[in-house]
Amino acid sequence: MTLRSGLLMIGLLLALLYPLSQSIWGERYRIQSGTPAGYVIPSQYSRVLSLGNRGLLSDLLFLKAVSFFGGRSIAGQKMTAEDWNYLVTSIEVITDLDPYFLDPYFLAEGLLAWDAGLPLKANEILDKGIEHRPDDWRLPFFVGFNLFYFVQDYPAAADYIMRAAQLPGSPDYLQTLAARLAYYGGKSMTALLFLREMIEEADDPLLRKRLAKRLLALEGAVKIEAAVAKYIEAEGQSPKTMAALVDKGYIDALPEDPYGGKWGLLQNGRVFSTSKFADHVIESEPGN
Amino acid sequence: MRNSVALAKITFLEGIRNRSLFGIALFSLFILGLNIAIAGFFMRDIGKVSVDMNMSALTFAGILLIFFVGLNLITKDIDKKTIQLVLSKPISRFEYIFGKYIGIVFFTLFSLTLLLAMSCVTLVVLMHFNADYFFDFSWINYFLAAFFVFVKFALLTAIVIFFSSIATSAFVALICSLSVYIVGVTIEDVIFYLRSEIAIQEKVVSASLERFLDVIAYLIPNFSVFDLTMEAAHGLLITPDRVLWSLLYASVYIALLLLAAAVIFARREFF
Repeated sequence: MTLRSGLLMIGLLLALLYPLSQSIWGERYRIQSGTPAGYVIPSQYSRVLSLGNRGLLSDLLFLKAVSFFGGRSIAGQKMTAEDWNYLVTSIEVITDLDPYFLDPYFLAEGLLAWDAGLPLKANEILDKGIEHRPDDWRLPFFVGFNLFYFVQDYPAAADYIMRAAQLPGSPDYLQTLAARLAYYGGKSMTALLFLREMIEEADDPLLRKRLAKRLLALEGAVKIEAAVAKYIEAEGQSPKTMAALVDKGYIDALPEDPYGGKWGLLQNGRVFSTSKFADHVIESEPGN
Repeated sequence: MRNSVALAKITFLEGIRNRSLFGIALFSLFILGLNIAIAGFFMRDIGKVSVDMNMSALTFAGILLIFFVGLNLITKDIDKKTIQLVLSKPISRFEYIFGKYIGIVFFTLFSLTLLLAMSCVTLVVLMHFNADYFFDFSWINYFLAAFFVFVKFALLTAIVIFFSSIATSAFVALICSLSVYIVGVTIEDVIFYLRSEIAIQEKVVSASLERFLDVIAYLIPNFSVFDLTMEAAHGLLITPDRVLWSLLYASVYIALLLLAAAVIFARREFF
């Protein structure tokens, strides 16, 4: 074979490889996005299989879990119960392999509590973090937040926030927040304070976006709650409809619910939205 | 002893002249470079991820060094019969084993030190760009963890020497040493799992198999003892006691293996 014919054949094969590689990648993408969820090897086995590289395995599994959720989000696919189960197991295995690893705890808070509607599962994982990183105020803060926001167990939430407040580096207002929580319980204003802190703490752009949307919705609710309070003070009774607040000038216009729901008022004077502030699956919400 | 030193020097020089060293250095550089690229995918614990990757890069490189270069340095003499030439000189067989061991250990130390220096560069670069995300990092722990990677390989070298003194071919020595290494890095997790409540309740293995595993755990060194990656990654406390006991544990195994190798080697005939 001469040099020229050799190079020609290499060139031809490379040209042939391009469409082949394109179609293989396309096929892989189709298979991957169609796959319901991966299988995570339980930690007692993956520990052994890591051949002494436990930390590295935890990093890889974390990347896999994040890209799995990211892939679903980008493709606009709804997370199924099986998908969530995969994520929960992943985070459990990652935190078993390296219980000091901070990122999976943030992921548990950001996804399991907020999107999966599994705040208690998130708390279970976060409790493991509190045990191994006892000086990190954010972990008890998250558990307290979940108990307050999703579970509505205010005394337990106040306990965790108080624990967080006593740890080094925690913001000063946590003490006040804990006290306020113990006293007022489920007011939207308390949720607003919490949420602002959550946004401060969130690094992940996707989570930040979600939280900002939630904050916008809550700010709307707080605005309406304030108008309702003024209405009750002046009129001596709750407004019959939301439109009454605008008609009588207690509020300029009803703020828009970024989730696309309609505002309503509960018997106890709390404001709710028909969207339940949810894009997809959130089972428990404040005010329900 | 002078003979051992001379042989160690020759072995060391032979090791660093080996061309596969470049391949291994390239591979490690690739992993260390990958570290910089991958760190960006993590939200917070970038320090931990970097330490994990660097320690694993050192470990992989160490395994390759010992199995591709180190093993060759001792078995080549036997395979190519050049050992007859060496043993015809006034050098005892124990001196031969000891000299070879020291030579390979220094070769491993030299290579790992170079890789460690490169890994420090990647850490400094990452720290420069993500200073806030190295909150738990400690250089002392990092160097200690790297030192224990070396201790682990000093022990693995003794295992390789031991099997090379028994086995008739390099390949058999490779398979045996690799198997011991795999058992050594996994045995702790297996034993602890079997002692966990779930495993006891479910009776995962029979009592006789469990006894067998206990014997294995006694005979084969537990390599997890030398794994300080998690401590380095999270800046956890490493007590001087732990360092001393781990060093003693490695020393006893190394002494045992080299003595056994010397005894077997002394009785071996080379035709």
